Amino acid sequence: MTGLVLKDLKKRFGGTQVIRGVDLAIEDGEFVVFVGPSGCGKSTLLRMISGLEDITSGELYIGDRLVNDVQAAKRGVAMVFQSYALYPHLNVRDNMGFGLKVRKVPAAERERRVNEAAATLKLDALLHRYPRELSGGQRQRVAIGRAIVGNPDVFLFDEPLSNLDAELRVHMRSEIASLHKRLSTTMVYVTHDQIEAMTLADKIVVLRDGLIEQVGSPRELYERPGNLFVAQFIGSPKMNILPAASARLLAPFATPPASAESVGVRPEHLAVVEPSDNVLRGKIALSEYTGAVTLMHVELPNGQTCLVVHDGKDLPAFGSEIGLMADRQNLHFFDRNQMAAQQ
Amino acid sequence: MTQRQIRIIYRTCWTLALLIVAIPFVFPFLWMVSAGFKSVTEIFGAPSLIPRVWRFQNFVEVFTYQPFARQYFNSIYIALAVTALTLVISSLAGYALARMRFAGAGLLMLFLVSALMVPEEVTIIPNFFLIKWMGLMDTHWPLILLPTFGPHGVMATFLMRQYFLALPKELEEAGRMDGLSRLGIWWRIALPMSRPALAAVAIITFLFSWNLFLEPLIFLSSLEMFTLPLALSNFTDTYGLPLWNLQLAATTLAVVPILIVYLIAQRQIIESFALSGVKG
Amino acid sequence: MTETILRQTTARPKDVPWLSLKYREMLEAWLFISPTLIGFLIFFLGPLMAIVYYSMTEWNLLTQQATFVGLDNFQDALFVNPDFWHVVRNSVIFALGLVPLNMALALTLALALSRPFFGVVFFRTVFFAPVITSAIAWAIVWKFLLQGEAGAVNQMLAWVGIDGPNWLREPNWAMAAVIVTRVIKMVGLNMILYIAALQAILRDYEDAARLEGASRWQIFRMIIWPLLAPTTLVIMVITTIGSFKVFDHIYQMTGGGPENGTLVLAYYIYQQGFEFFDVGYASALAMIMFVIVMVLTVVQVTVRRRGME
Repeated sequence: MTGLVLKDLKKRFGGTQVIRGVDLAIEDGEFVVFVGPSGCGKSTLLRMISGLEDITSGELYIGDRLVNDVQAAKRGVAMVFQSYALYPHLNVRDNMGFGLKVRKVPAAERERRVNEAAATLKLDALLHRYPRELSGGQRQRVAIGRAIVGNPDVFLFDEPLSNLDAELRVHMRSEIASLHKRLSTTMVYVTHDQIEAMTLADKIVVLRDGLIEQVGSPRELYERPGNLFVAQFIGSPKMNILPAASARLLAPFATPPASAESVGVRPEHLAVVEPSDNVLRGKIALSEYTGAVTLMHVELPNGQTCLVVHDGKDLPAFGSEIGLMADRQNLHFFDRNQMAAQQ
Repeated sequence: MTQRQIRIIYRTCWTLALLIVAIPFVFPFLWMVSAGFKSVTEIFGAPSLIPRVWRFQNFVEVFTYQPFARQYFNSIYIALAVTALTLVISSLAGYALARMRFAGAGLLMLFLVSALMVPEEVTIIPNFFLIKWMGLMDTHWPLILLPTFGPHGVMATFLMRQYFLALPKELEEAGRMDGLSRLGIWWRIALPMSRPALAAVAIITFLFSWNLFLEPLIFLSSLEMFTLPLALSNFTDTYGLPLWNLQLAATTLAVVPILIVYLIAQRQIIESFALSGVKG
Repeated sequence: MTETILRQTTARPKDVPWLSLKYREMLEAWLFISPTLIGFLIFFLGPLMAIVYYSMTEWNLLTQQATFVGLDNFQDALFVNPDFWHVVRNSVIFALGLVPLNMALALTLALALSRPFFGVVFFRTVFFAPVITSAIAWAIVWKFLLQGEAGAVNQMLAWVGIDGPNWLREPNWAMAAVIVTRVIKMVGLNMILYIAALQAILRDYEDAARLEGASRWQIFRMIIWPLLAPTTLVIMVITTIGSFKVFDHIYQMTGGGPENGTLVLAYYIYQQGFEFFDVGYASALAMIMFVIVMVLTVVQVTVRRRGME
């Protein structure tokens, strides 16, 4: 059983504190995604788990072993790097077998395991090629293959898809997902792309400035964001944040808690209705047609712009005035500290 | 032991080792300055880094023994001339090789490349007769012309070419659309964008000329024409034995100013050499 | 509108320049290059041609002018004059001593100094300082330090109970001294080239190897060293060629002595040409040097090309 436990982990580079106390438990076999804006410390946290960065304070357990001072190679983890880090002077076979070789695994065994991993990832035909002769997607697969060969307890992924083009990214995303299903090994995955996080994760950890903002399943984060930052970070396009007073216009039976300062509503939860004094009014300032839906920029009387996802039928004309409404359960209230307001 | 402690111990060992290795790199400079202030008798006494008696007279005698001020000036102005000339000529040729299409470019490159590695010693004999035939013996002309047009100049040309190649072409094309001539583009767009490369060429060229020895040795005969390295090796008595205290005082005068500039601009200077070496 | 223009082009407009754009660019390019080219022809290519002729003449103080003698000078060097092989031997010893020592030290220093840590700038500055210093100045100081009894080096060796030799007065010690002081002078340059190469190697390679259990030595041996191979090749050739053209250092420190113990090729050419005025023979030596340098360069280019395939 190899879950991970992070207890009050901290990391300091010289004078700057990059990780400011992270507590987290990761279950065996779980797919956990660290997500957050650049500079939030997610990659540093991953590198601390891998052992490539040492831990300034706190405790890190892999399985039930305290690994703070265990060398990277002896933690039973494998990592897929953003750059793939495929050795340019070695062919695919030797790249994948490198770790086994330095660990003095006999050649026959090495051969067997490399072939096995290559078969899993459909790399058989590429074994004699050098990294420079591979496409981006192939390199990505070799990098994953190299991680598999070592038979690790935990896989670590550091933004593995960010060097691929959009189409390939979607494809590799599903490959990684199915790999997880097949191996059911614990995986920790770092990305700045919230869609990647939503699609892959059993559990998402949102980080900001070296602290955890919220931990939860993708559905929890989408439906019950714990604070304004998470609310706006998860979901695309971004959640609209309006003054709390707008809530009654959006949903007549809404009951904002007393502490509510603002109300958030996702663009896809807004419905267009006839303008009247009982609904939130606005003027269409811009419409962006994307095919499946149209993204409307609606200018509100208070000068704010509100985004609305419209399914495209009976599209209101540019400049026309419309009313906006939403379901009561789709409203999110936040207090003055930007935390989710309690009823 | 934690990983952190292991790393600290590891690092300390490395630093100590590096300090020991550094001794023969630093020591000669210290000893040179110290001996420059010693009397002849003290120089051959028990070694100590701090002179017992500071003999400033050495630095006066340096100038009376030979026209050292004049020699110093020679070195400076020749190095400046070589640097200026090399900058202009190498950046012009480098620009053409990087950006202009012309018949024979490939062949020309091949010719120039082959010159890169050839030591001055190979061509110095014919050049001696050439300079003699031109009537330029015991003048500074060969010391300006040979370095500028020799392998060093070719190296500078290639360095400039590499740099121009890496510049975005669009800016120059915009310049062309605005009606600049080729010369105008070179001067107003390419050169201002190439300051790092120009600085690198300037630095290594200046030092190359400043430290040049074989050419001065062969082409110069009168003391007033000497450059610094030649002058330094000339602090000898009538039997050809070195006048140590004078020689070291003079060497100090020649080396220390360059060293000070180096300490101030070490990053830039080191990078210049890295740039000139990488292309090789 | 377009039709009128189309019709007009059949008639040649008046303001067409006398040169087409293509030839105009060519002319400009040659003008840009002409200073370099003319200088190159006069001071490099011309002399290089001349040396071929010179090397086949007898031309010394006695003859006063050049007489064509074919390959006599080469025959003289290779089969008659014992000095030549002695000089070649010295040059080879010099190169064999200098190149490995220089490269090993440069690589070690570069490995220690390629990553930032406290003091890294200080050390880089120190190790590079001799590179910018004039070889004459450097040789003067070391000659001073390496004197027999009174030299600082021997006095310091005496403190730890070692009776140092009279470095520059004994041929073998003089050779060793010249090699070592030359290495100290020039190692900074190779160090910088190695540092640049090391910094270009992705940090991730090392991290990945560490994660897979490679030791520091294995990382160096299996990852870093192979990736440095192209740099090592270039440095090796540059340093070897550099070792064949060392002149000022030896001129000032030993003058080729004692007993011609440090008489290397570059110094020998100078001696024959400008001290003994045996122009023909010296030119033949210069030709030999040229061939050596060219062979080394060609070796480098071929090996590098093969490495790329």
